[in-house]
Amino acid sequence: MLRFLHLYPEHMNLYGDRGNVLALAQRAKWRGIPVEIVHAGPGQAIEWSMVHLVFLGGGEDVHQARIANDFYSRRQDLTVALTEGLPMLAICGGFQLLGHYYRPQAGQDLPGIGFLDVTTEAGPSRAIGDVVSDTTLDLHPGTLVGFENHSGQTYLGSGVAPLGRVRWGHGNNGRDGTEGAVRQHVIGTYLHGSLLPKNPHLTDLLLSWALERAGEVVPLPPLDDQPEWMAHQVIVARQKQPAMSGVRLT
Amino acid sequence: MIRLWLAVWMSRLAGWASRLTGRGGSSLPGVVARRIDPRVLSRLTARLPQGAVLLTGTNGKTTTSALTAHLLRARGWRVIHNHAGANLILGLTAAMTQAARCRIYPRADVALLETDEATMSRASLETRPRAVLVTNFFRDQLDRYGELSTTVAFAARGIASLAEDGWLVLNADDPQVAQLGAGLRRVVYYGLAMPSPDGASDYQAVDAQFCPRCGQSLTYQRRFFAHLGWYECEPCGWRRPHPDLAVERWNRAAGEVEFDWRGHRLRLPWQLPGLYNLYNLAAAAAMALTMGMVPEQVEAALQNFRPAFGRMEPVRMDGATVWLALVKNPVGFNQVLQAVSEEPGFKVAVLLINDRYADGQDVSWLWDVDFEGWVGRTGIAAWWVGGIRARDMAVRLKYAGVAESAITIAEDPEKAFASARQAFPAATTYVLPTYTALLEIRRYLARRGHVRHFREG
Ligand SMILES: [Zn+2]
Repeated sequence: MLRFLHLYPEHMNLYGDRGNVLALAQRAKWRGIPVEIVHAGPGQAIEWSMVHLVFLGGGEDVHQARIANDFYSRRQDLTVALTEGLPMLAICGGFQLLGHYYRPQAGQDLPGIGFLDVTTEAGPSRAIGDVVSDTTLDLHPGTLVGFENHSGQTYLGSGVAPLGRVRWGHGNNGRDGTEGAVRQHVIGTYLHGSLLPKNPHLTDLLLSWALERAGEVVPLPPLDDQPEWMAHQVIVARQKQPAMSGVRLT
Repeated sequence: MIRLWLAVWMSRLAGWASRLTGRGGSSLPGVVARRIDPRVLSRLTARLPQGAVLLTGTNGKTTTSALTAHLLRARGWRVIHNHAGANLILGLTAAMTQAARCRIYPRADVALLETDEATMSRASLETRPRAVLVTNFFRDQLDRYGELSTTVAFAARGIASLAEDGWLVLNADDPQVAQLGAGLRRVVYYGLAMPSPDGASDYQAVDAQFCPRCGQSLTYQRRFFAHLGWYECEPCGWRRPHPDLAVERWNRAAGEVEFDWRGHRLRLPWQLPGLYNLYNLAAAAAMALTMGMVPEQVEAALQNFRPAFGRMEPVRMDGATVWLALVKNPVGFNQVLQAVSEEPGFKVAVLLINDRYADGQDVSWLWDVDFEGWVGRTGIAAWWVGGIRARDMAVRLKYAGVAESAITIAEDPEKAFASARQAFPAATTYVLPTYTALLEIRRYLARRGHVRHFREG
């Protein structure tokens, strides 16, 4: 049995973030692996040893600010669990909170737990549009696709690897070509879409990490992923059409 | 004066030209008018005896303004009305310049303007409205405005320019909307006073349900859908205002709705499906009553109302019924699925998902629609998916548990629709398109002679 923890689903659930949890759960169930999805909000106790995968999405600035302190207060236990191999996927605002801090245009910095060696500052405009990246993970095919929508500009420190390099799109900061970050079994990214339904290879990698965490040595038999790859391909193909590319609205 | 005359006539000329070249709905008439006379909208609305009325909010603007226009016309007013979707400042301007054929100032009583949230501030400043109606705030088109709180702030700025004797008509059941009336005197609230409906799954699209005053979680005594209901904030004591107009009973089978308007009982005929349409009806009735209509007039006027194009409108085709309902955000999509589930008969669905600018370029929102909860209840036997993002829609249905054999993909919306009709000619067909896909389907239906008001939208 796999237990997924969706953190702060009421505050941090922008842009179809729950699609990622649905994709993880379905791909486990289709292989006969039972799944339990648990939620935790501010102030609720979490028994990290019982959790096999953590998901944290993005939220509006006001909501992100409301959960930031609660998340920060959990940093010691969570860091231990992540260091021991607990897999985590964090998107957009969640990605930012895994770093050292998020600095808004005005007001105080939001502290992050610093598990990923990244820092984020609000930029002057929003990066909005399709993204195709070549991932640094050992995945086949090597592309990740999604949709980004963020004003934060994230820079990676030396202690972390990018999740991918953008072929098309803005990425972490629009300058160095990196997208997302990865350390051990923890992934931070700006990709919505939702991300996992259109990137089944990444979903299965997270599932295999979750099984490892649960101590279950179960192989993941392949599924028929034709519809998923067709949806994936719609975005990869756009890169080749100059008329569609580079659309940026701010 | 010469400047205004020129602005109006050049704008009309631009309108004729763009219609001649086959492209309706162009923004040219508005651009031309405002370039020549930037105050054209303000000058034209200022002359109307009843001034301007603005309607805004995420969902229900089009149906609510069509209903309100219908009611106000029934009381004898001549109403200027912008086309559905032409709700940015250019569309509002074009509606005013093109409202008359020969005269400069239109011979009308009131301008009823469906207004995009982000345009509220400007539209309100220019028209000094006599009334503003706000329907609801849901997440929508986030790639355009950024965040829900931004949208609420836009509407609040619009309300600040309300005429001194102006009225605010607000949905009491939406905490973010009701909050706009706090501390104001001339406010009319509308809401539902029925039992809560059965929900779908508990993993619903999670929308704002925090107190707009103090940020704590709201508790609900009744919940109609999304964050609409009877709410209360225990920490700060803020709660749903008591509505002036309350929907007390809805008999779907008999096609009848009962309202309470400040102690006065109204019984209205009502054929449209879905709770969300009930809110649209309540909004329009509240507006008409606020504008001085008497309850008996409202009752009589609703006997012959027909909905706006593509807003749950039945079209008879070769002996079967085809319903068209625009889908544009998770809450609206859930509501349409609920309405489908309440209708009888053998049903098929055609979901048409585009991702052009007007549709929203990010299709992530499809994952916030509660397909898991609804697919089993809708009674839909087969699904067609079409549009630019047909593949994403197919994946969404697959993960919601729809068998792949029940899903047919045809990217071209016309082909998807034609294929569904051909496969099940006797089935009731629900066509659920995003905005630009609705336009494509409408052109197709118009070519085949099935659309009555072709120009709307
Ligand atoms: Zn409160």
